[in-house]
Amino acid sequence: MQATLTALLAKATAELPSLKTRADFEAAKARYVGPNGEFTALMKQMGTVPKEERPAMGKLINEAKAQLQVQLDATLQRLGDAEINAQLGPAIDPTLPSPDAGPGTSHPLTLVRDEMCRILRKAGFTVVEGPEVETEYYCFDALNTPPDHPARDAQDTFYFPEKSRFGNITKKTPEEKYLLRTHTSSVQIRTMLKGSPPIRVVSPGRVYRRDTSDATHSANFHQIECLYVDKNVTVRDLKALLDYIFASLLGKDTKTRFRPHYFGYTEPSFEVDLSAQHLPKVNKPWIEIGGCGMVDPLVFEGVGYDPNVWSGYAFGMGLERLAMLMYGIDDIRYFYQNDLRFLKQFA
Amino acid sequence: MKISRNWLRQYVRLYSTTEELQRAITFLGFEVEGVQTTGLPPLENVVVGEIKTRAKHPNADKLSVCTVEVGPAHGGIRTIVCGAANCDAGHRVPVALPGAVLPGDFKIKQSKIRGQQSDGMMCAADELGLSGDHSGLLILAPDAPIGEALNKVMPDGDTVFDIEVTPNRPDALCHIGMARELSAWLRTELQFPAIKFNGKVGGASRPDILANIRVDAPEDCPLYVGIAVTGVKVGPSPAWMQERLAAVGLRPINNLVDVGNYVMLELGQPLHVFDAKKIAGRQIVVRRATDGEKLVTLDGKERALNSRMLVIADEARPLVVAGIMGGHDAGVDATTTDIILEAAYFRPQSVRWTSRRLGLASDSSYRFERGVDPHGTAEAARRAIDLILETAGGTVVGPAFTVGGDRPWSREITVAPHYIRAKVGFDITDDEMRDAFHGLHLPIKEEHDTKAGLEWTVGIPSYRGDLDRPIDLVEEVLRIYGTDRIPPQVSAGPALVDGDDDPIAVFNRQATDYLVGQHFHEVVNYTLRSKQELATWASAAAVEELGLANPFVDDQSHLRPTLVLGIMESLKLNQSRGVATARLFETGRVFMELNGTVQECVAVGFVLCHNPKDRAWLARPEPDFYAVKRHVEILARSAGIDLAAQEMVPVRGAFWGWQEGQSAAAGEMKDGWTARFGLLNLAMVRAAGIEGKVWAGTLALLPAKLAAAGGHRRYQPFSLFPAALRDLALVVDAARHADEVRTVLLKAARAATAGAAFTVESVAVFDVYAGKGLPEGKKSLAFALSFRSAERTLTDDEVNAVFAKIQQAIAADGSVTVRA
Repeated sequence: MQATLTALLAKATAELPSLKTRADFEAAKARYVGPNGEFTALMKQMGTVPKEERPAMGKLINEAKAQLQVQLDATLQRLGDAEINAQLGPAIDPTLPSPDAGPGTSHPLTLVRDEMCRILRKAGFTVVEGPEVETEYYCFDALNTPPDHPARDAQDTFYFPEKSRFGNITKKTPEEKYLLRTHTSSVQIRTMLKGSPPIRVVSPGRVYRRDTSDATHSANFHQIECLYVDKNVTVRDLKALLDYIFASLLGKDTKTRFRPHYFGYTEPSFEVDLSAQHLPKVNKPWIEIGGCGMVDPLVFEGVGYDPNVWSGYAFGMGLERLAMLMYGIDDIRYFYQNDLRFLKQFA
Repeated sequence: MKISRNWLRQYVRLYSTTEELQRAITFLGFEVEGVQTTGLPPLENVVVGEIKTRAKHPNADKLSVCTVEVGPAHGGIRTIVCGAANCDAGHRVPVALPGAVLPGDFKIKQSKIRGQQSDGMMCAADELGLSGDHSGLLILAPDAPIGEALNKVMPDGDTVFDIEVTPNRPDALCHIGMARELSAWLRTELQFPAIKFNGKVGGASRPDILANIRVDAPEDCPLYVGIAVTGVKVGPSPAWMQERLAAVGLRPINNLVDVGNYVMLELGQPLHVFDAKKIAGRQIVVRRATDGEKLVTLDGKERALNSRMLVIADEARPLVVAGIMGGHDAGVDATTTDIILEAAYFRPQSVRWTSRRLGLASDSSYRFERGVDPHGTAEAARRAIDLILETAGGTVVGPAFTVGGDRPWSREITVAPHYIRAKVGFDITDDEMRDAFHGLHLPIKEEHDTKAGLEWTVGIPSYRGDLDRPIDLVEEVLRIYGTDRIPPQVSAGPALVDGDDDPIAVFNRQATDYLVGQHFHEVVNYTLRSKQELATWASAAAVEELGLANPFVDDQSHLRPTLVLGIMESLKLNQSRGVATARLFETGRVFMELNGTVQECVAVGFVLCHNPKDRAWLARPEPDFYAVKRHVEILARSAGIDLAAQEMVPVRGAFWGWQEGQSAAAGEMKDGWTARFGLLNLAMVRAAGIEGKVWAGTLALLPAKLAAAGGHRRYQPFSLFPAALRDLALVVDAARHADEVRTVLLKAARAATAGAAFTVESVAVFDVYAGKGLPEGKKSLAFALSFRSAERTLTDDEVNAVFAKIQQAIAADGSVTVRA
C-alpha cells in the first residue's frame, strides 16, 4: 500500500504542472480525489488493512493526502494566475510618451482678460457685453465726440455702407451709420441706458481701428473697460481702484500714477502709468497702460442721469498691451498667428 | 511740438534740472516724447586749467602725470594723472575738480591711480556731455581764462522737449503757453514779451500797397487783420532768432518768414506774409474757393479746391489755402520790399476739413484746426510788426485793416471749493486752489459766501476754450496741485450692485473651459476677412451684405460669417511651420443672415484634424463625425439647447464649406441658433493648402437666445427597482435614419405600455449592420429597450407580453421588419 501511495503521488507530481486549462485541472482532480478517484479508492481500502497497522497506515494516507492537496492548490493558483496574465498585454515602457492629445490651452488674451475680470469681480464688477458692430450714436455722439472729430473720420474708423442692415443692433436715429466700434466705451452707454445706477461693470471686448498692422498695431484688438456710477464717486476712489487692480495683477509693489490728459467723455481725465521696473523687456521706470477719468456730466445727461446726483468713473486699457507687458511679448501679431509654440507657453 | 528751454527762459525763470522740468511737463498733462540736450550742461567745479608739465607715470605705460594750473581760487597747481595722448604742456583744457559731478552721475574725487596722487580729472568732450569723441582732451582756446568756470567760457547748451499736446489745449502749442503752465507749476511769475507797436499806423495811407480787405465768408473767418509795411529789406534773420528756430527744428529762411514762424512758436498764432506787389488789384479777398479752382502750394503740388474750402485770394486768383499753406508764387522772395502781414482767426472745423480733404497739413493748420486764441490775433500781429521792423526795417503804412471782431469768448465760471473737494475726494485747502487759479492766470474775480459755503467766480481767458464748467476747473486745480499727490486709499468694499455676468460672457467661459478640457488650443483670429475667402463659404449675395464701406486692405474687407475660416488659417500656419496640430477652437462674434438682415451672433467653432503626416508610435482611432457631434451637443447645452431633441439634417450640397454625406446641421437662425458639424469640404481644405481630414463643429447663437436660456431646474424622482431589458433588431432601407426608426419603435413601445403598470424607459440603438445575411440596400438596426416600474420588480411574463405587442405593431408598419 505504501508503494501504491508513493507511486500515486509521483504520478500527480509529474502530471499536475503540465496542465494547461482549468478544465484539465478539474478532470485531473476528479481522477485523484473525486468519488471515483484513485486516491479515494485507496482510502476505501483502509478497511482491509489489519487493525494494528491502521494507525500507521492512516498517518501515511493523511500525509499523502495533504501533499496531494498542496499540489492541487498550487496548480489551481498557477492556472488562475495564468488566466489573469493572459488578459494583460506586454509590459509597458514607462518612458514612452502618451500618444493622446496634450493639455488644451486658453489663448493668452483670454487668460489676461479672465484674470482682470476675476480681480474686478472681487471689487464688485460684473461683466457686460455689447455688439461689435455699433452705430455713430453709441460709439461717438453719446460719448461727447463731436461730429467732425478726427476719430470719427473714415480714415480711422470702419464704416458700413448706408444700405447695410443689422437686424439685432439698435440705432438711435434712422440716418446714423453702422460702424465697427473703436472702443468698448460704447458698452458703457448701452449699459447705462438699459439699467439704472448704481452700476459697476467691466466690459471686455474686441475693437477696431483703421490702421496699418505692425508690431504694435492690429486692425482689431481688445480692450477692457470699467464703469462705476454711484453717488459721491471721487478721483481718489478711481486711483484706489487702479492701485488695487495692478497690485493684484502684477504684485503689491506695483505703483500707478495719473497724468492729466484729455478724453471727450471724462473730466477730469488721466492717463495711467505703471511702475515697470519688474516687468520683462521694459527699460523705463513708468509705462503707460490706459486712460481713465470721471464720467463727464454731458455723458450722464445724454443717458438721462442727473449729473448733480450721480457721479462715476471709467477706466479702459488695451488687453494686448497688457499681455505684452506681462509676458514680455514684443510683437502684437503673434496673438493672431496662433502658432502652437506660442500658444502653449501661457497656460 | 518742440519746446526749447532757452526760449522758455525768456518768459519764466527756470532753475529746475532737465529731469524736474520733464516731470513738471508730464504732470501738467503733456506727454514728453523726447528730450534732446545740446551743448554743455550746467556743471559745477569744472574750470579752465593749463597743463604746466607732463611726465610719464612711473607705474603705467599709457598714463601721464601732469601738473595743471587751475587758478588761485581752486588751489593753484594740481597734480593730475591723465590717460589721454594729447595732455601736452601748454594746452588749456577743462578740469573737473574733486566734487564735480559729470554727466552720467560720474563723481570726481581725489584718488590714487597706480600709486600716484591725482587731484581731479582733465576732460574729453564726451565726458562733459558734449557730442564728440574720447580720443583726447578737449583743447580750449589759448586765451580761455585759467580758473574760470567752464560754463562761462563755452556757449550755453539747450534742452529741447518734444511734447505731445492734447487736442483740447491749443493754447499750449507755443512757448508762452508752455511757460504759463510751468510758471503755475513752479509758482513763479510769467514774463510776457513787451510789445511796442500799438496798432496805430504812423506812416501815410498807401492804398497803392493795400486798397481793401474783403471777407466774403465771415462764418469761416470771423477775424482778419492785415497790416502793410513798406521798405523792408529781405535778408537773413538775426542769429538769436535763427538759433531758436533751429533748436525747435525749423530751418531759418529769411527775416520775414522767420518772424512769422517765430511769433507762431512764441504766441501760438500762425501768420502769413504776402509780397504786396504780387497781390493783383491790391485787394485781399477771403472767400470760398470755386469748385475745380487750382492752386500750386508752396510744396510745389497743384491742389484742386472746392467750394467748401476757404482761400485768401486777390482779384484774380487764390493765393493761400486759408490757414494751411501759401501759394507757390505769392510769398515773399529776395526782391520783396512791401509786405502785408496777415493775422486771422479761421474756424477750426473749416481748416480741419480742408486739411484732411487735401491731405495737406502744416504747423499753421495744426494750430488753426485746434483753435487759436481769438483775442490774441491782433496782439500777435503787433508782436510780429515789432520784429519785422527790428529785423527787416521798413515803415508801417495805412490803412490797417481789421475785418470782423473779437468773439466774446472770455467768460466766467462759478465754482465752489467744497465742490472741488467733493469731486477729488480729499482735502485741498482753499489757498492751494487759489494758488492754482492764480498760477494758471484764471483770476478769481469774486468770492461769495453763500448758504452752501464759499463760491468763486473765476475768469476764463479766451485762449482756454476747453474750460466751460465747474468740473473743468476741478481738473485745473488737480493738475497744479499734482496728481502724484492723490492720497492712496484702500479700495472701498463693493456696495452691492445688482446683476450677474452677461450670458455671453458666461457662455464663452463655459465653452472655453470645456474645449480646453478636451485638449483643444484656443486661437484668436481677425474678424475681417477677404471677399475671395468668404466666397468659399457663402453665396455672393450673402457676402455682399458683410462688406465694409471703407476697408483698409483688400484681405480684410468683410465681416466673418463663421469662425472656421480663421481656424483653418491657424491650422495651415502651424502645418506649414511643421507644428503638429490636431485640435483648435475659437470663440467670438460672427455675422449671419436672417430675414434679409445681418445678425451679430455669439459663436464657438472648433476643428479636430487627422493629418496622416503626424505620426505616433501607437495608433489611436481617427476622429469622426460622432466625435464632433458630441462636442457640439455639450457646447449647445451651455446655451440651454438639447441638441439630441433637435432635428438633424444631413448636409446635401447647399451648405457651403461642409462635405456632403459627412456633415449635419441643426437649428435655424429664426429660432436664435444654428449648428453645423462634420467633415469640412475636402476640396476646400485642399485648396486652402491644408493636409489631412478636418472635422469641425460650429455653433452660432443670437445674444437674445442666450439671454433667454437658463432657468431653474427641478428634481425628477427615479425608480429604485431593476430594469427589464429586451433587444430587438429591425431591418430597414439602408438610407433610413436611425432616429426615425427609433421614433417608430418608441411610439410602438409607448402604445404597448399604455395600460401596463410600467413604462418604457429608453430605446437606444446599439448595433448597426449591413452586409452578409441581409438583402441588398437594407441594414439592420438593433435596439435595446428598457422597461421599468416605479413600484416593483417586473416579472418576465408581463414584460414579454408587452414586448410581443411591440413586435406585432412594428410588423404592421410596412417599412420595418423584425430581423429573424
